[in-house]
Amino acid sequence: MSQSDQYSIEIFSLQKKFGDFEAVKDISFKIKKGEIFGILGPNGAGKTTTLNMILGLLHPTSGKIIIEGYDNSKENSKIKQLIGFMTQETVVDSYLTARDNLRIFARLYHIPENRIEEKVNHALDEANLISFADVAAGTFSGGMQRRLNLVKSMIQEPKILILDEPTTGLDIQSRVGMWEEIKRLRSKGITIILTTQYLEEADQLCDRIAIIDHGKVMAIGTASELKKTVAKGNLLSIKVNQDEREKTAKILKSKLKMEYEEKDDLFVLTNNIDMDMMIKVAEELRRNKIDVQTIGMHLPTMDDVFMKLTGSSIRDSTGDQKAGKNMAKMGLIGRR
Amino acid sequence: MGLLYDSITIFKREMLIFKSNLRTNIIRSMMFPLIIIIFLGNLGSSVNNIPVAVANYANSQVSNQFMNSLESGSTLNIKAVTNEQEGLAMLRAGSISSLIVILPSFPKSTDGQPSVYVYYATSQFSESGVAIPFIENTAAKYSTGQVSSVSIQSDVNAVSTQGTNSSYRDFLIAGVILFSVAFGAVFGGGMSIIVDRQLGNIKSFLITPINKNAIVLGKLFSGTLQSMIYGILALGLGLVLGGSVAMGVAGLIWIIPLILFVGAAFSGIAIMLGSRIKTIEVYTIVAQSITMPAWFLSGAFFPSSSFPPILQPFNIGDPLTYATNGIRSVMLNGYFPVGQIILDFSVVIIFAILGIIISFALFKSTID
Ligand SMILES: Nc1ncnc2c1ncn2[C@@H]1O[C@H](COP(=O)(O)OP(=O)(O)OP(=O)(O)O)[C@@H](O)[C@H]1O
Ligand SMILES: [Mg+2]
Repeated sequence: MSQSDQYSIEIFSLQKKFGDFEAVKDISFKIKKGEIFGILGPNGAGKTTTLNMILGLLHPTSGKIIIEGYDNSKENSKIKQLIGFMTQETVVDSYLTARDNLRIFARLYHIPENRIEEKVNHALDEANLISFADVAAGTFSGGMQRRLNLVKSMIQEPKILILDEPTTGLDIQSRVGMWEEIKRLRSKGITIILTTQYLEEADQLCDRIAIIDHGKVMAIGTASELKKTVAKGNLLSIKVNQDEREKTAKILKSKLKMEYEEKDDLFVLTNNIDMDMMIKVAEELRRNKIDVQTIGMHLPTMDDVFMKLTGSSIRDSTGDQKAGKNMAKMGLIGRR
Repeated sequence: MGLLYDSITIFKREMLIFKSNLRTNIIRSMMFPLIIIIFLGNLGSSVNNIPVAVANYANSQVSNQFMNSLESGSTLNIKAVTNEQEGLAMLRAGSISSLIVILPSFPKSTDGQPSVYVYYATSQFSESGVAIPFIENTAAKYSTGQVSSVSIQSDVNAVSTQGTNSSYRDFLIAGVILFSVAFGAVFGGGMSIIVDRQLGNIKSFLITPINKNAIVLGKLFSGTLQSMIYGILALGLGLVLGGSVAMGVAGLIWIIPLILFVGAAFSGIAIMLGSRIKTIEVYTIVAQSITMPAWFLSGAFFPSSSFPPILQPFNIGDPLTYATNGIRSVMLNGYFPVGQIILDFSVVIIFAILGIIISFALFKSTID
């Protein structure tokens, strides 16, 4: 397999400006054929903007995107047949039946008329919606709508499937169902790109992850590779009384010579931590009469990775998700 | 595959959505016409003592009897005048609303020419609507010939027309049909573009390999067809509620293309606005402030001759005026002169072409 055959999508120093604002600053990555590639980042990181450029909905200000060997600035219509896309919002025509929803997309993808019914029936079967085929999609549950949306995005049998936050807003059960579905598609050889704000989703579902923030790739790799960048071994988290934070910081820094990061109300020690080290730290704190509320050793999580790279927890930055998003849309809040 | 195929796919989708809400769509489109025709269509039915002048050139026993019958009851208030010129002067001065001319041959018609002429001022629409049928009915009792009306628009003598059927109801129905068409296009199919963008449908169309103009064209087709359906429903409703088409079924040959072009033009306007405006609320305000004045200024309720002089240029510049006039010629006069056909259709076709071109131009630029 030659070098370029290995990749489904190659992105070279992509940049997108909206007026003076640089939503995507400098993004480069390569997505391997048949992998689940996750783009993880907080609200406004530039995830959707990047996807829109891959999809040909937005023209990059500069940079290059190669999809299955085609340059997407030149061979857009060829590429569109290769990519299936599921939008962030679930898009089905709620007044139309599941069948009509699929028929319309089959036609929009120029599937020959004599093959449409067969394709539509197959898709209904895949989505487990045969018995609801002729019911208006608006009456479906959220999970059913998303399944319909997914098979609709794949009616043309694409090689690549792009999912923009496929599980945002789903309950745990539907989320796990969606993960299973995505893994099943990978097993059929489809390359999958998804964006997410959920660390555990990136961790458990994605083969490789790119963490982006402020329009830049902060890190890229498998979940375990990324975690190793935080610490080779364990981390130590300590929570102390709010009043004693400064004192604790001093002890950790000058007495114990430990490296740490402050995350939410925790101190996270990133030196290679073992049992002896943990006990030493605990004893030193007790000697100084620090009121330790929690102390514990754990392996790095995606949260730690995110924390290290962006300097904030993803929960802070995504905070009140819906409200933040709507306010941003109305132009009420700008970027940090 | 071609633009047309893709447009038809979008068109089918729009029509499926229309069909899924068929009952609501139809009921909503009928509400306004129903109210207007019922409440205003009967305007003038309580009008009496309508000032009418009679120039009796026959001066025979029958013609005097005819005049007496016109005077009986309280519908008309008859003034005798010595000749046609005097009556016309009064008509133009506004002191009478109609002038009846009884020819010497009354009650026989000569060479198929009517022996009674009625001039009426279109500005006195509600009175004329009562007076003319009354005169016709009364004359029918005496005459073997026909009564014929001549309309006077402003100060210009129009052509003598046969079989005139002039009631305010019919006058109004022409306006109501165009209301249904224009508002149907702007608030029916055309508005869908905003909802589609909000829901992400436009985006999901754009990631398919279709030509993006197919979205505009498909929506233009469906918006036009839907508004035509609304227009025809309004006409049907008008007929059920007592209206009539002087030209008969043949009138549809003219009415349908007129509403087609108006529907296409307003669908284009709707797409143009929908491409630029992000929310339904703002769209509603903007669309209403375009459509409402255009509709009023076309003389939907009142003949344009009754407008104050400052509004006259707006009436002349309003494309809907020509569509309204065209439909009125068909419904009221039963006669659509060639010169007027050319004028009315040219204006309406140019209007449609402009609406369509602008919709394409503006839709394109909203995507990049
Ligand atoms: N059309 C546009 N014009 C101006 N600014 C835009 C436009 N689209 C996006 N932006 C801005 O670019 C930044 C990146 O937006 P983008 O939608 O790519 O973020 P995201 O990572 O997908 O976030 P989310 O998790 O909220 O979906 C945001 O600050 C957004 O406000
Ligand atoms: Mg997004």
